[in-house]
Amino acid sequence: MGQAKVKLDKELLEKIKKFAALAGYSSPQEFITHCLEREIARLEESDSEEEVKKKLKGLGYIS
Amino acid sequence: MTAMNRRDFIKQSLTAASLIAAGGRFPSVLRGSGNRDTPAKALVLGFDGLDPRLLDRWIKEGKMPAFARLISTGGFRPLRTSIPPQSPVAWSNFNTGTDPGGHGIFDFMHRDPQTYFPIFSATLSTEARRSLKIGGLVLPLSGGEVKNMQQGRTFWQILEENDIPATIFKIPSNYPPVPTKQRTVSGMGTPDLKGSYGISCFYTTDPATPKGELSGGRVYEVFAIGNRIDAQLPGVVNTFKKDRPEALIDFRVFLDPVHPVAKIVLPDQEFILKEKEWSGWKKVRFGLIPTQSVGGICMFYLKEVRPHFKLYVSPINIDPADPALPISTPESYARELEKVFGPYFTKGLPADTSALDNDVLDEGEFLAQDEMIFRESERMFDYEFERFDSGLLFYYISSTDQRQHMFWRLLDEKHPEYDPLLASRYGGTIENIYIEADRFLDRVLQKIDRDTVVMVMSDHGFNPFRRSFNLNTWLLENGYHRLRNPWKQEEGDLFLNTDWSRSKAYGIGLNGLYINQRGREREGIVNAGADSDNLIREIAAKLEQTVDPKTGERAILRAFISKDIYHGSQVEHAPDIVCGFNEGYRISWESPLGKFPKNVFVDNKEKWSGDHMGSPEVIPGILVSNRPVRAESPALYDLTATILDIFGIPVPTEMIGKTIF
Repeated sequence: MGQAKVKLDKELLEKIKKFAALAGYSSPQEFITHCLEREIARLEESDSEEEVKKKLKGLGYIS
Repeated sequence: MTAMNRRDFIKQSLTAASLIAAGGRFPSVLRGSGNRDTPAKALVLGFDGLDPRLLDRWIKEGKMPAFARLISTGGFRPLRTSIPPQSPVAWSNFNTGTDPGGHGIFDFMHRDPQTYFPIFSATLSTEARRSLKIGGLVLPLSGGEVKNMQQGRTFWQILEENDIPATIFKIPSNYPPVPTKQRTVSGMGTPDLKGSYGISCFYTTDPATPKGELSGGRVYEVFAIGNRIDAQLPGVVNTFKKDRPEALIDFRVFLDPVHPVAKIVLPDQEFILKEKEWSGWKKVRFGLIPTQSVGGICMFYLKEVRPHFKLYVSPINIDPADPALPISTPESYARELEKVFGPYFTKGLPADTSALDNDVLDEGEFLAQDEMIFRESERMFDYEFERFDSGLLFYYISSTDQRQHMFWRLLDEKHPEYDPLLASRYGGTIENIYIEADRFLDRVLQKIDRDTVVMVMSDHGFNPFRRSFNLNTWLLENGYHRLRNPWKQEEGDLFLNTDWSRSKAYGIGLNGLYINQRGREREGIVNAGADSDNLIREIAAKLEQTVDPKTGERAILRAFISKDIYHGSQVEHAPDIVCGFNEGYRISWESPLGKFPKNVFVDNKEKWSGDHMGSPEVIPGILVSNRPVRAESPALYDLTATILDIFGIPVPTEMIGKTIF
């Protein structure tokens, strides 16, 4: 797996450490990875949702 | 019905397109049909949306002599419609002889309680289960499936079990056609080649025309280089490729330098159109990978050559000569019709109402298109009627519904979009289609024999859509729904800004309201049982009391509690409340997909100006028959029982109707 460093604000990093521990993640890295994966999945799907809406709109009853 | 995640819904929406590209598999059917020669015959004409009040008015004015003649030999009743009176729901009542609690179709859209996301109610599709990825290609190893979600047995399946032949022509809510040996061709619900309810393309050099995606269409900016214009026609989603691009066909247009004429050059054909001329059907074929392609049919309309080039291309219909998706039983029936008539409209509701709404087509152009649809219906009816010698013939006509949706504003001086100038030209459009329906009936009555029972029916009536009601905004204002960021109320859709941990109710679809119920919804907060029941009754009562400040009228005449009105095994999937709107009112354009516009009430400023989302007593359909009708207040599902009774078949216990004669 490729590695890359990302700069984070110190205050944010402290919060990440705190909530990663509270939420039961094994490390702050696992927590960050999970959050990013979830957000990317949401964004990836959003185009398809747009596509869905367009298709429904051909029905005439909604805009 | 199993819960469906968001990705599954997206798959559904891509349904037809994916299946087409992936070599969709659908249940095969046997050839043939019921074979018995029946002493009695039944002919049912279904005019979508024919309204009893308008019918009565124009009969009294002597404009509908065939209807008057038929009524004089039998009877005329308002026909009780479904709750809600949306076409897929109403026709499913008729098809199965049940109500939504039995057939499971409650609205055009249902919702997934795990995602709070709208889902198509009519069909469920699955893509290929196994596929092989090679480079940028995804090759399906097993076909996908598309399933009709209407539950229960249709009356033509029961006729078949009793060896009674039936032809069912474009009845709504029969896509894909239910398995049968009877002759059926699918109607409303049949997608275009993109898997949608219809997406047209419009190409223009006019810089003033807004470009991009419209509701039900796309507008492309094109450029004339000398007298040549290059453009692309989009087709199916190419599921053979990893990033699922749209398959495209390049085409070229040559403008005549002097005359208002253009030559359109497609890869394997070319044709010339004069300004304001329709091309008739053109076959197009989209290449997917070297060994696979998909064909469809579409029409071109050259709206303008100068000063600005404007070319409309209809949604691409499934080609009945080589259907990429199941549109008939037996499969050969669609091809048989194509051999007799050439290419024909296969998309469920073929008139492009979106193009008129978006100013891509004007009133006259829309009517020219719908005229083609109506005349085609007449020709195909004559063909079927000619060979109708036993059993049942059902025949469906869409133009009555579509023209009322689009032209009510010119019949109704109180409508916000009433335009006296346009009304002077097109104000008679609705009356004219009723008169056409009368002529249609006349051709039947001239040839019908005494042994044939004739029933002319509609699924619902019509009323004005002057004011729209934002159900989700109402829920917000009344404290039943909460947003995470209230200052972003008008942004986004699909409840992306909703705080589900504090929301008790939400609206999805055209009439449905759901409680955010614990154990059912993903983040439900209202306990099932008494808590939920009390909340439902509280909201229903408040909805019925809500008054439009502009008119002083109630927006919702009746808020139906689904547990009280539906019967059958599907009730648990129903919305908790079904809104029955008052005359003149409908759900807003934005609320059905989870948006929260600023105001609860808004004028309807669209050309789509007539509708049928009301409380059922506001908009009954019609029933006219050549037999005296005993039933005082017949319902759609009573006609189903009546059809079976005509052929001496006992009504199955799951059906809730009774014969009307």
